[in-house]
Amino acid sequence: MKLDIDESRCKGCNLCTMVCPYRIYQPGTAPNRRGIYVPHLDQPERCPNARLQQIYGRRLCGVCALICPDQAIRWEKEKPYEPHNVVIEY
Amino acid sequence: MRDDWLRADRLPHIYCAGCGNGTIMNCVLEAVDQLGWNMDETVFVSGIGCSSRAPGYIRTDSLHTTHGRALAFATGVKMANPSLHVLVFTGDGDLSAIGGNHFIHACRRNIDLTVVCMNNYIYGMTGGQGSPTTPIGKTSTTTPYGAAEMPFDLAELAVAAGANYVARWTSYHVTELTKAVVAGIQTPGFSFIEVRCQCPTSYGRRNKYRQPGDFITYLRESAVLKDRWDRSSAGEELPSEKFLIGEFVRRSRPAMGVPDEA
Ligand SMILES: Cc1ncc(C[n+]2csc(CCOP(=O)(O)OP(=O)(O)O)c2C)c(N)n1
Ligand code: SF4
Ligand code: SF4
Ligand code: SF4
Ligand SMILES: [Mg+2]
Repeated sequence: MKLDIDESRCKGCNLCTMVCPYRIYQPGTAPNRRGIYVPHLDQPERCPNARLQQIYGRRLCGVCALICPDQAIRWEKEKPYEPHNVVIEY
Repeated sequence: MRDDWLRADRLPHIYCAGCGNGTIMNCVLEAVDQLGWNMDETVFVSGIGCSSRAPGYIRTDSLHTTHGRALAFATGVKMANPSLHVLVFTGDGDLSAIGGNHFIHACRRNIDLTVVCMNNYIYGMTGGQGSPTTPIGKTSTTTPYGAAEMPFDLAELAVAAGANYVARWTSYHVTELTKAVVAGIQTPGFSFIEVRCQCPTSYGRRNKYRQPGDFITYLRESAVLKDRWDRSSAGEELPSEKFLIGEFVRRSRPAMGVPDEA
């Protein structure tokens, strides 16, 4: 699973940066198109929910998504790995 | 999934950045989702205020009623059809100022409702006037030199008035709050959950917690676990700037509108 912040919902309050035990959320440094400083994700693959949710069959931790007042945090299913054919043109 | 309960097309909601109301909505929806409630048998009721806008973002049927009257409408819904799940969102002003009498009588009657009060210490929606819960010395538009009146302790009030389940948490204690909502819903009779939360825009701005994070830090640091205090305090008074959090009461006094008995 992939941790993601929905930029169309986030209002940049930075509450997520206060609660994550892994300090995955870092305050944003540049405004987006709507002028919001969306937090930056530092190695989000460390999140136990991203790694283990599907194995355990339930949500683990999840406090960031619970405290996020704007329902902006979510985990998305990643597409299964597909080998790509690399075409090299001369 | 609790996201299924949200009207995604209505989001983002109108709450200011970092407003605690959104967090409380998450915890309530997480609780009802864990309990596996059916959306068609669930009704959210609210009065007027920022807090009371919450049902508008939830997919079930809801009643956004007049100021202070959420409990009167909720009583009607529950008594007309006790098999429905009825959950009320209200604010400190809605519940304890204009709706104060409905509140104590709903507790006394012990109607089988779950009431979540988003206590941000002021009237948020109308620009930050003082409410019955504004702490002494705190600034609001109607208390520019600091509030001078003794505030209500909503949880103690609900206990005294007879509610079967009473708890208080803050918008920082998301896991505990979710569990309290589950416990409140499972207790037959009137369940009251007070949630102290941040209004960075009105209350925060006038009381040195303009940033949502500073406000959350203040809530976390002022909250004292009730169980721990009861064990260690030996009857002392809690310092006035602190407040207790935890479960205040869980009992089984006679109740109204409980599905089996109705
Ligand atoms: C009968 C009536 N009186 C007054 C108002 C104005 N009014 C709207 S919201 C509100 C206070 C809301 O305070 P609270 O319940 O604490 O909600 P918050 O906005 O703080 O979440 C008031 C006085 C009204 N809408 N109706
Ligand atoms: S808590 Fe939610 S709204 Fe606030 S900064 Fe984090 S993702 Fe954005
Ligand atoms: S689920 Fe927990 S560990 Fe994962 S990002 Fe959120 S707060 Fe951090
Ligand atoms: S005014 Fe206060 S209570 Fe209302 S939405 Fe803004 S922060 Fe929340
Ligand atoms: Mg209020």
